Amino acid sequence: MSPNSEQPGTGPVQIPVVLAAHLHARPAGQVVRTAAGFSATVEISFGGKVAGARSVLGLLALGATAGGTVVVSAIGTDAVAAAGAVAAVLTAAE
Amino acid sequence: MAQPGGAQPAGIVLVSHSATLAAGVRELVAEVAGADVVVAVAGGTGDGRLGTSDELIRAAITAADRGGGVVVLADLGSAVLTARTVLDDLERADVVLVDAPFVEGAVAATVLAGTGAPLAEVVAAAQEARHVAKF
Repeated sequence: MSPNSEQPGTGPVQIPVVLAAHLHARPAGQVVRTAAGFSATVEISFGGKVAGARSVLGLLALGATAGGTVVVSAIGTDAVAAAGAVAAVLTAAE
Repeated sequence: MAQPGGAQPAGIVLVSHSATLAAGVRELVAEVAGADVVVAVAGGTGDGRLGTSDELIRAAITAADRGGGVVVLADLGSAVLTARTVLDDLERADVVLVDAPFVEGAVAATVLAGTGAPLAEVVAAAQEARHVAKF
């Protein structure tokens, strides 16, 4: 299942998050800033669309709404930590 | 977010025919800017009319410049022309006018600047705004 299961923490990992609020500018900015602190590639998917966690405009274009479920996925050196941090931001966002 | 080596974040300059529009975009990007990112505006003429002012642009660049470079966004037409003239006179490689949609480029650039990203990445983020679909 995992192409690189020898190194712990490298993913790929997927974390679903139910949004308490729309994914608007402020939380989108927080996602970008959080993802920037990790080297893993992080993506957010919603409704069949995917955005890179470093693209605020892409995140806004997801149109992810309150009550909807986004999936945070990550792969790379610190993927587990990165996905967890981004998921935490989205969980707390209001 | 502190940069290794203490490098300063890039600053953002918003050039618009309208002081109101520039202030509004600045208000919008304040939501996504980090505490260290300076967003300066040059909107309208020096006497409060619609138009552009090279003096206001120069002042905005000075205000936004913290040593980490400056990204300039302009709305259209003479704002672009005047900004280009100012930058040509300035002759600084670290003050860059990006050809991007005004609001979208400003948001993308400001978020990246807030992460402490180097100028080249902030510029790239603003340029990317030309291509990202809204929905």
